[in-house]
Amino acid sequence: MRIFRDLWWFFKKEKKSYIWGVAMLLVVALLDIFPAYVVRLVVDAIEGGWLTPAFLGKWLFLLAGAGLTMYILRYYWRVLLFGAAFRLGKQLRGDLYAHFSRMSSQFFNRRRTGDLMAHATNDVQAVQVTAGDGVLTLVDSLVLGGLVVLTMAVFINWKLTLISLLPMPFMAWAISRYGSMMHQRFLKAQAAFSTLNDKVQENISGVRVVKAFGQEEAEKASFQQLTEDVVEKNIAVARVDALFGPTITLIVGFSFFLAVSFGAFFVLDGAMTIGQLTQFTIYLGQLIWPMLAFGFLTNIIQRGRASYDRIQSLLDVSPEIVDQKGAVNRLPAGEIRFELDRFSHRKGEPPVLQAVQFSVPQGATLGVVGKTGSGKTTLFRLLLRETEPPAGTVFIGGIPVEGYTLSALRGGIGYVPQDHFLFSASIRENIAFGKPKATMAEVEKAARLAQIHEDILRLPDGYETRVGERGVTLSGGQKQRISIARALLLDPEILILDDSLSAVDAKTEEQILEALRVERKGKTTLIAAHRLSAIEHADEILVLEYGTVQERGTHWKLLQQAGWYAEMYRRQQLESLIEKGGGHPW
Amino acid sequence: MVMRRLLRYLKPHRKPLVIAFLLLLLATGADVAGPLLVKVFIDDYLTPKVFPLQPLVLLAGAYILLLIAGVVMEYFQEFAFHRIALRVIQQLRVDVFGKVQHLGLSFFDRMPGGSLVSRMTNDTEAVKELFVNVLSTFVQNIVMILGIFVALFLLDAELAAYCLVLLPVIYGLMVAYRRLSQSAYREVRQRLSDLNAKLSESIQGMGVIQVFRQQERLKREFGHTNCQHYRANMRTTRLNGLLLRPAVDLFYLLTVMGVLAFFGIGMKASAVQIGVLYAFINLLDRLFEPVNQMMQQLSFLQQSLVSASRVFELLDEEQRAPVGEGEQKPTIQQGRIVFDQVYFSYDGENEVLKNISFTVEPGQTVALVGHTGSGKTSIINLLLRFYRPDRGEITIDGVPLQRYADRALRQEMGLVLQDPFLFVGTVEENIRLHHPDLTSAQVRQAARFVQADRFIESLPRGYQEPVGERGTTFSSGQRQLLSFARTMARDPKILVLDEATANVDTETEEKIRESLARMRKGRTTIAIAHRLSTIQDADCILVLHRGEIVERGTHQELLAQEGLYHKMYQLQQRMAKNTGA
Repeated sequence: MRIFRDLWWFFKKEKKSYIWGVAMLLVVALLDIFPAYVVRLVVDAIEGGWLTPAFLGKWLFLLAGAGLTMYILRYYWRVLLFGAAFRLGKQLRGDLYAHFSRMSSQFFNRRRTGDLMAHATNDVQAVQVTAGDGVLTLVDSLVLGGLVVLTMAVFINWKLTLISLLPMPFMAWAISRYGSMMHQRFLKAQAAFSTLNDKVQENISGVRVVKAFGQEEAEKASFQQLTEDVVEKNIAVARVDALFGPTITLIVGFSFFLAVSFGAFFVLDGAMTIGQLTQFTIYLGQLIWPMLAFGFLTNIIQRGRASYDRIQSLLDVSPEIVDQKGAVNRLPAGEIRFELDRFSHRKGEPPVLQAVQFSVPQGATLGVVGKTGSGKTTLFRLLLRETEPPAGTVFIGGIPVEGYTLSALRGGIGYVPQDHFLFSASIRENIAFGKPKATMAEVEKAARLAQIHEDILRLPDGYETRVGERGVTLSGGQKQRISIARALLLDPEILILDDSLSAVDAKTEEQILEALRVERKGKTTLIAAHRLSAIEHADEILVLEYGTVQERGTHWKLLQQAGWYAEMYRRQQLESLIEKGGGHPW
Repeated sequence: MVMRRLLRYLKPHRKPLVIAFLLLLLATGADVAGPLLVKVFIDDYLTPKVFPLQPLVLLAGAYILLLIAGVVMEYFQEFAFHRIALRVIQQLRVDVFGKVQHLGLSFFDRMPGGSLVSRMTNDTEAVKELFVNVLSTFVQNIVMILGIFVALFLLDAELAAYCLVLLPVIYGLMVAYRRLSQSAYREVRQRLSDLNAKLSESIQGMGVIQVFRQQERLKREFGHTNCQHYRANMRTTRLNGLLLRPAVDLFYLLTVMGVLAFFGIGMKASAVQIGVLYAFINLLDRLFEPVNQMMQQLSFLQQSLVSASRVFELLDEEQRAPVGEGEQKPTIQQGRIVFDQVYFSYDGENEVLKNISFTVEPGQTVALVGHTGSGKTSIINLLLRFYRPDRGEITIDGVPLQRYADRALRQEMGLVLQDPFLFVGTVEENIRLHHPDLTSAQVRQAARFVQADRFIESLPRGYQEPVGERGTTFSSGQRQLLSFARTMARDPKILVLDEATANVDTETEEKIRESLARMRKGRTTIAIAHRLSTIQDADCILVLHRGEIVERGTHQELLAQEGLYHKMYQLQQRMAKNTGA
């Protein structure tokens, strides 16, 4: 029941819906007593032989009125109660979404997309069911059930009521028990299905390998095996699922048996009429639902509570990276300066970056090279505050990055991340992602700079071509260039290319870099790359190794230093030079 | 149509189905017999107030016996239907999965992976609902309704005949509801899938969203979809409120009124009638619950049928992968590859390969170079017989490619892909790939050959180290070495290399290069190269541009031509020249 207390804020907010809805439920419950009463009157009248058309007409007329009223009320309480529940679902989904958009990347790194999705879908659904069906089953099982029992006991015969109801609690208990058994087995079946799903996923994405190695039959065999598991787990569910109907039939059958056989004695005694006995059995039939509802209720509440707790604990995570007090809301510009002694993601972990000190004057280009995992991406993320740097270690224009509002900071920086993520939308919308109101001319200009314009024109719908899950598939290089265009459209003061040219061929890379040099004169650009050609023209190049700056300088200077950079460079060049006739290249 | 085809899947289960149906009939009979016995009790004993012990005990015993027997049969019947349904879906799944295994790659190009997976899993799951819930609900409830009517006729034929009016009324209500609810439910599903798609995309792309400061806009967009979903839900709630339970309950009440009127106006007020009246009301009460249940399943029916038709569409797909033709069973002996004036297009419109002719002598290496989209991968795809050329001929050892059996071809042609794909399993399984004749020693030898042995042996569980989804626990260099080992374990005569470039550190790359050189020795090799430096020792280099071979020759010859290759080479070399100056 705690879940209802937890949801109290919502019931209060939706006071009107719930008060009216529950009131209607109560009226329906009261009216529902009436038909059986009329049946009893008519039966007794027939038996007594004094039934008149006027008598019959009067009661049937009233019955029709009651029926129509119930119809209307039943319609409205549904709209009110289920409507409120849907609004709760809507609100929780919206809250979660808003919460997610405040979270920093660490939050998402620590959790899987599938799990977060499950919270926003299944858990919200479960809470929604609690606010709708939960309230309904609560009211129905307690009020409708209570009312019917009361009517039976007070107006017909309390002894018979007691006797016939003996098997009923067992039904509520059984239904509740089956419910939780079902749930557990169902989860296992779900897991089996999800394994099956993974298998299919793997098979489809590996289709070329499957075919090239002639694995078709082996794949079929292992799939068959997985379907067998799915069937088994589902049969386990079926075993319990098939219990519901028979159990209800059995219990209700016993109740009827008790009612009719013991009722017969009371009729003989003259304590009841046959009409009353008929009325009694009708009520007995009406008790099935409240009993079922009570069984369902325990499960609904249990699941709703667990789900609500999960949602709540997710919402309780406070955002790690927020605007600091007194942060300036001005676009950052000017010299970029790092004065980082040591940075690690969590306390006690080995540092990701150590003794990184450098500055990039406004308008200059910085190149960052180094092996995978040497800290290049972390460097950029600190600048963007996607990862929080230690206070007062990273500056733009003399102000530490945490001195800017997040919005201002990111507004001044154009970022092309390593993993080119595109949204399911048109190419135009993707390029204009950071500035939805951009004109077509702006979009095309950015596309031209990123050397993707021609490619786009060749697509079926040009700039309106949809990409992403439901759209066309683009090559990695095309995706990279679109995400470059997306950043360039903002014409940012600072541009970051995080290994964003890796899937682009050398010629296109050269064209893009050339276009950037012309177009971004006077603006700062930071480039990380594996291929040295991408950073060759940088004003300064940092060579990172294990999070520290091993070498620094211009391309020429670094070559002279004969360190890692020169070695790497030589390796990239050596073979071609040997072919050219040998001899030492420099 | 779809329905008939689905029902055909029941054929192998005819026997259990007949048994289940018999159980259903018996259980239903036992169920409706209850009120009839009560009627006998009321009319023959209670109303006249005579209570002979023996017949009454018999009556009570019969009631209890019927109840228990009915319940037991109900359980087994229900379970049997469920199990049959699960087996049917298993067969459907196995069929569709098997079918997809033999579809051509051209099919996979057309069909996005996500929606293909969804057809094979979610759509078949929806068909499962159809069998498990919808069909069995309908069968069980229709039998129940029929059983109730039989009982009604036994009680009072005249009144039962009047009650037959209920059937068209119920049917009309169901048809009306189905028609109205179809679009409403479709809308709910559509909105829900929009909502989930938006949410999952936002979660995955949150970094980009935040960096581009679009949180508010996307929140608004999500809110909009959320609202649409809510409105669609409300529509179905209203519809259900108007036509489902409340309406059915109203009908029940009207029917009860009719029965009362029948007994009242008919004035056949003899005591004999009271038991009949009791049984009628009791049975009619049971009549309407099945109606409620069937109506609730209606909205799923449509959805399941749509899903089923999607599954069948896949089963009917014609684009099978090319397989071996002809009687003889040639095998690859030498590995001499000839492309003779080959033309090819993926979509039948834009030719991606034009007039491609070249020969690779046994043991030679031919390299393909060119920009992205110049046709390098297409050549490999044709050689591996993933696609059939539009015109021209490809032969291996003088035998046309299409004459080789699939096995013969896959056995002798080793593909090393740009993006090495690992399967869930162990390291050893990934090298062996279900190959029945490979010994563990051979697997290890292959690993040693490509220098993957050292890193494998340093893993906590060595060759038995589990490989996770897509092998993400391994670095891309390690993944490549594993895929090399996988290829070498089969000792193919022909090697097809799709060179990987990006994101491998220099040291691993060195190892990869060495292994590649050893692998190529003594094998006919066709290699796609991104870095010209890696293929300078090739016997022949083909330079592709927009689907045509524009230059061919050895590295030195091509440089001397000073054409496209020369330019590409210079571009990769510019820095070197600068330094050399």
